[in-house]
Amino acid sequence: MSSSLFILDEDLEPLVSKNIRALPNLSSVLSSFKQCYHDSSPPILFQNDWFFIHLKRDYLHFVSVIHTTDKPNIDLMTILAFLEQFYHLLQKYFEIEVLTKNVILDNVLLVLELMDECMDFGIVQVTDPSIIKDYIRVKVNLPEVVVDNHEWSSDGESSSCNSRSSENEYSRKSSKKKKKKKKKGCKGKGTGRSKIKSIMINNKENKGVNVMETVKETLRNKSDTGKEPLDEELPNDGNDLYFNGDIAKTIIMPISWRTKGIHYAKNEFFLDVIERVQYLMDFEKGIIRKNLIHGEIFCRSYLSGMPKLKISINKILNRDPQFMSNSNFHQCVSLDSINTMEREDEDEDEEANSADSQVAATKAREIEFVPPDGEFVLCQYELKRHVKDAPMIKLKEFEIKPKLKKFKIQIITKIQTNFKPTNSTSKLNVKIPLAKLFRDYKIDLSKQIRFKANIGKVVFNLSDDFLLWEIQTMKGHRNNNNNNNNNSSQEDDPDTCASMVAEFSIFNQEEYDRLQEELKTSMNPPPLRTGPKLEELYRQVHDKHAAHVTPQDKLVAIEFEIPYCTCSGLKVEYLKVEEPQLQYQSFPWVRYKTISDEEYAYIV
Amino acid sequence: MSDQRVFARYKANEIVTDLQHFGVKKFKSNTTRRKNALRKIIANLMLGNYGEMSLLFSELLKFWQIEDDLEVKRICHEYIRVMGVLKPQQAKEALPFIMDDFKSRDEKLQMMALRTLVLVPLNEFSEQAFDCIISLVNHKSPPEEVTRTAIYALLDLDEIDHERVLGLSSILHDIVRLQSSPPEVTVAALHTLYSIHEKNSNMESFRLSLDLAFNMLELLPELNEWNKATVLEILTTSVVPQHYLDTHEMIELALPYLQQVNTYVVLNTLKFIVYLLNYIDVIKESLAEKLSNSVIALLDKPPELQFLVLRNVILLLLSRESSLLKLDISYFFIEYNDPIYIKDTKLECLYLLADKETLPRILEELEQYATDIDIQMSRKSVRAIGNLAVKLDENSVNDCVAVLLDLLEFGVDYVVQEIISVFRNILRKYPSNFKGNVKELVKHTEVVQEPESKNAMIWIITQYSDIIPNYLDLFRIFSSNMFCETLEVQFSILNSAIKFFIRYPTQETEELCMDLLKGCTDQGNNPDLRDKAFMYWRLLSLTKTSRISNALTFEALKSVVDGELPLIEMNTKLDPTVLEELELNIGTIVSIYLKPVSHIFRLNKTKLLPPSPILNSNKDQLPIVCSSFSPTEGSRNRQNSETQSSTKSRKTAMMDDYDKPAEKINQLKGKRKSSSNNPSKLSRKPSTLLRKLSMKRPFS
Repeated sequence: MSSSLFILDEDLEPLVSKNIRALPNLSSVLSSFKQCYHDSSPPILFQNDWFFIHLKRDYLHFVSVIHTTDKPNIDLMTILAFLEQFYHLLQKYFEIEVLTKNVILDNVLLVLELMDECMDFGIVQVTDPSIIKDYIRVKVNLPEVVVDNHEWSSDGESSSCNSRSSENEYSRKSSKKKKKKKKKGCKGKGTGRSKIKSIMINNKENKGVNVMETVKETLRNKSDTGKEPLDEELPNDGNDLYFNGDIAKTIIMPISWRTKGIHYAKNEFFLDVIERVQYLMDFEKGIIRKNLIHGEIFCRSYLSGMPKLKISINKILNRDPQFMSNSNFHQCVSLDSINTMEREDEDEDEEANSADSQVAATKAREIEFVPPDGEFVLCQYELKRHVKDAPMIKLKEFEIKPKLKKFKIQIITKIQTNFKPTNSTSKLNVKIPLAKLFRDYKIDLSKQIRFKANIGKVVFNLSDDFLLWEIQTMKGHRNNNNNNNNNSSQEDDPDTCASMVAEFSIFNQEEYDRLQEELKTSMNPPPLRTGPKLEELYRQVHDKHAAHVTPQDKLVAIEFEIPYCTCSGLKVEYLKVEEPQLQYQSFPWVRYKTISDEEYAYIV
Repeated sequence: MSDQRVFARYKANEIVTDLQHFGVKKFKSNTTRRKNALRKIIANLMLGNYGEMSLLFSELLKFWQIEDDLEVKRICHEYIRVMGVLKPQQAKEALPFIMDDFKSRDEKLQMMALRTLVLVPLNEFSEQAFDCIISLVNHKSPPEEVTRTAIYALLDLDEIDHERVLGLSSILHDIVRLQSSPPEVTVAALHTLYSIHEKNSNMESFRLSLDLAFNMLELLPELNEWNKATVLEILTTSVVPQHYLDTHEMIELALPYLQQVNTYVVLNTLKFIVYLLNYIDVIKESLAEKLSNSVIALLDKPPELQFLVLRNVILLLLSRESSLLKLDISYFFIEYNDPIYIKDTKLECLYLLADKETLPRILEELEQYATDIDIQMSRKSVRAIGNLAVKLDENSVNDCVAVLLDLLEFGVDYVVQEIISVFRNILRKYPSNFKGNVKELVKHTEVVQEPESKNAMIWIITQYSDIIPNYLDLFRIFSSNMFCETLEVQFSILNSAIKFFIRYPTQETEELCMDLLKGCTDQGNNPDLRDKAFMYWRLLSLTKTSRISNALTFEALKSVVDGELPLIEMNTKLDPTVLEELELNIGTIVSIYLKPVSHIFRLNKTKLLPPSPILNSNKDQLPIVCSSFSPTEGSRNRQNSETQSSTKSRKTAMMDDYDKPAEKINQLKGKRKSSSNNPSKLSRKPSTLLRKLSMKRPFS
C-alpha cells in the first residue's frame, strides 16, 4: 500500500505522479530516490526513511514510495506484483509492445485515471485489462507518425522488428482470417527489407527509428483491428451510460472477469498453444545446461453471453505429474475442478484396477471455465525436458578452421532439425558470434568474405560482429537411433541438415608489404575497388569501445518458429463451448506453435 | 493531438488566458482549448510547479460549477488533492463543490468526491467524510462500489480520528459476520478491520472465529485475484485452528490457489499454509511437494519478482532444520544475464542448499562462476566456496579445498586474493588438515593487495611460521612499508611481529619487533595503533623485568599474545523467535532484510503465532508422511468431501470431532497450563466459546 506512485523516464524525471496518502512534498521524495538509485540496484531501496520499490520496464521506471512510519509492515509482494500488472495494463491499453516516454506524456490523464481505478486508497482492486477497458473509455492518444526508413533499419534491429511484426501477425491472423491478404503484403515488405539490409552500420542511431517502427507497426495493427469485434459488434456501444452502469457491477459480481450482455455476430474462440523452448548446451563439453519448455495457452474469446468452456488436454488426461504440478491457471479456471480430479487420481491409485472408475475419471479430467472477453492467458506451465531428449534444432557441427598457410579461416556450421517430418520451421535464424574470431585472428576485411550455404542465406553484421544465417523454412527430421549408418546418406539432404561455411581472410603481412611496395614503385593507379570498404567501416564502428568479451560472444544462438507442433507433445483433445441460454453455433480454433526462447544457444 | 506541448512549465497567467476564453462564446473550439488548459495544469502539477499553479485556484472553482464533463471533474479533484496538501486553507473553498459531487447520482463522481475528502488533511474535510460514510451506511441499498470505497476510506480516517472509526467498526463486524453483502464489500470490511487492529498498538491483534474463517475460504473462488490474496493474508495469524482437523481442512481449501498465475496470490497462499503448518500433526508428502513446485514456478517471473521470491526461499530454507521444500539446485544456478541482486541471492540460496549430495554439483557450478569474467561474481563465488568449507563437515571440506587449490592455479590476482582470505577461515576451523597447502598459498604473497587478503596472508604466515622457513622475509614484504597500509593491516603486522618475537626470541626478530614498536609509537598518528603498540611494549618490558619481580611470566605473556584461538563456526541460523515472526511475514519488506519487524518499523506490532492447544512446539520434529498413509481422521474426512459439497464437508468435520471422546478436552486443559509462555486468555476465550456453539449446529 504505497504512499505515492511515480512513473519516471530514463533520467528519473517524473512523468506521472500520484499522491495516495497526501504527502506534502513529492519532489523531495523523488530526489532522495535519485540519490540512492543506480543502474543495478535491487528492486527495493531505502533512503531517508523512505522505501522505494521500483521496476524498470522498457524505458520507464515504475516507482512506489512508502514511508517507514506509514503502514504496518509493507506488503512488498502486492506492490511489486501490482507494478508489474500495471505495466501490462498500460501495454494493453496503448496496444504497444514498448512503452515510451512520449506515449505516457500523451496520456497522463488516462494513466492517472487508470491508477485511480486500479486502487482504492492504495489498496489494489482490479488490474484486469479487459474489465478496465470497458470501464474507462478514454481514447488513447497515439502519435500518428509516417516514417519510411526501411533502408535504414539495421540488421539486428530489423530482424527483431520483423520477428515482432510477425509475432503480431501471428496473433492477428487468428483474430481475423479475412485480413490474411493484407498480412501477406506486409510480410512481403518485411522480407524485402531484410534483403536490402545486407550491410548495416549505424546501429546506434537507429534506436529512435526502431521505436517509430514499432509505433507504426502497432498503428497498422490498430487500423487492422480498428473494427475489432468488440467495437464493431457491440450493439450498445454508443449507449455509454447504460453500458457502463452494467459493467460497474461486474467487479462486484461473483464472476468478476466477465460482463453480462456481450454479443458477437460470429462466435469464435481461438486457442493458441505456444511453447518457448529454452536450451543451453555447452558444445565443447557436450553438457546440456538447460532444457526447459515454457508453455502458454493463449486464448482469445469472442463469444456471446455467459459461455462455459470445457477443454481437455492430453497432459491432464494422462495425469502427467510434471504438468499437473508446474502449471498455473488464469483466475477464471475453477481450480477445484482440477484438484478434485487429482484427488480422484490418488484414490484411483489406491483402488487400482477398478475399471468403472476410469470412466468417471475421464469425465472429470477437463478444464472448466467461463472465459473473460477478449485476450487472456489461460494457463502457463513450465516443463523440464529430459537430458536425453534431443533439441528441436540441433547444432551438429561447429568448427573454426584456420588455414594459416593459405591465410584463410573457415567457420563451419551444421544444424539438423529434430521433429516430425510433416512439420517445418517458418523461421530459422542462426546467429554466429565473431567477436572472438576477430580478437584471436587478424582478419583482413579488405578481401572478400565468402559464404557457402546449402540452404538459406548468410548476412554479416559488421557493427555487432556476428553472422546471421537465415534459413526460414526447413523440414523436420527424426533421427532413428537404430540405424545410424543409414542416416549418413540423409545427412546431406538439405531439407533436414543444413550446413554453412564462411571463409574470412587472415591478414597477410608479407603480401601487404609487397603490395605497398608495388604501389610505391608502380605507375599504375591502385586497383579500383567497388563495394563498401568493410575494413574502414569496421574501424569506424569498433574504435570507440574497447573490446570486451561478453558471455554473449560465445553463444551460437538459434531463433526459430515451428508452427503446428508442440515440443512437449501437448494436445488439446477437445474444446466444447456451452451457452445454455443462447445456444449458438460457435467456432473454436486451436493452433500450436513452438518457438525458441530468448535463450536457445550453444556455448562454443 | 499530441499532448507533448502541454507537458511544459507554464506561467499561471498563460493558462488563465486560455481558461478565460470560455466566457466569450460557447464554441466547440473553446471547450477543447479549455480542456487543454486544464491538462496543462495537471502536467504542471506533475512537474512540481506548485507555486504557479496555486494561483489558478479561483479560476478552477469557476469551472467546477459549470462543467459536467467527467474529465474536467477528474482534473478538478486531482487539483484539489494535490493543492489541499500544500494549501489547506484555500482548499476549504472547494468543499461545497465536492459535497455537490458526492450528492450527485453518478457513482464515479461519488467515489471521486469521497477520495478527495479523505485525502485533504483538514478537519472540515474529514468531518464531512465521516458524515458521508455514515449517510452511506444508513442508506437502504447503497451502491456497492461506493460502499467499498467508503470502507477503505475508513482505514485512512482511522489515523485522524481513531475513536470515531472504532464506533463504526461494529458495522464492519456485521458485514463480515452476516456475509450478506457482495463479496468485494465483505473483503473490504475485513481488510479495514484487520488493518485497524494491526495499526494501533493498543488494540489486540485481530482474530476471526473458525466459522467465519471457513466462510471466507469458501468465498475465495468468487473473488478476484487481489481480493483472494488479501483474504489469505488476513487469515494468516487471525484464525487459530483448535484441532488438527481444522488445519487439514483449511489447507485443503487454500491449496488450489498455489496454482494461480498471480505471484501475489501464490505467495500469500504459501504464507497461509506455512502458518497453518504450525498447527498440524503430520505433513503430507504431497503437500510438501506442492509447496516446492509452486516456489519453483514462481522463479520463472520477471527479475524483480524473482528477487523477492528468492529472498523468501532463503527464509523458508532457514526456518527448518531439514527443509520442507525440496528444490532442485539447478534452479538456482546463475545465468549470465541475471541482474546482480539476483546473482547474489541465488548464491546465497546455493550456499544454504548445499549438503553432502549436492555439494559436487554446486562446487562445479561455483568453480565456473569463479572463472567468470565478471569480477564481482567470481569473488563472491570463491567466498561462497570458502564458506561452504567452513559450514559443512570434515568430509566435504576436502572437496572444497581441492576446488580452491585448482582456482589458485588459475592465477588471476583477484581470485588469488579472495582464496587467501577464505583460506584463513578454513585454517581456523581445521588448523592441522591443510598444513601441506600453506606453502602453496605463501607463494602468492606478492600478489595480495587488498587489506583483507593482506590480513589473511599475514595471519597465515604467522600461524604457520614453523613450517615456512623464510617466514621473516615474507613478513618483511608487509612490514617494510607498514605506514602505507590501512589500520587493520597495521594492527595485524604489529601483532604478528610480537608473536614472532615471543616464539623465536632471536636477534633478528627482536630488532624487527622493536623497530615496529618504535615506529608505531613515534610515527603512527592513529591513537589506537599507538596505544596498542604501547600496550605490547609494556607487556614485553614487564616480562623482562619480571625475572626479578616475577610480575608477569613469559608463559603468561605467550598466552596473552599468542594464545589458542577458538574454533570458528559458520552460523547461519536465526533466532527461532525471529524466524517465527519472519515466517508470518512472507512476502513483505521484512523478508527482504531478514530482520525482525521491530528493527525496520519501530512502530509496528510484532506478529506472533497465536497460542492454540495444537501449536507445535518444535516444528523440526514434524513428520512428513507419504500421501498413502494419511492421518486417521483425515482420510475419512477427505472421502466425505468428495461426495459432498465443501460446506457440507465442513459440517461433517464437525460431526467427526464431536464424536471424539472427551479425553481430548482434558488433554487440552492440561496443555494449556503448561504450554505457551504468555497465554493471553482474552484472545482464546471467545473462539473456544464460539466453537462450542458451532458444535451444536449439526443437530439443530
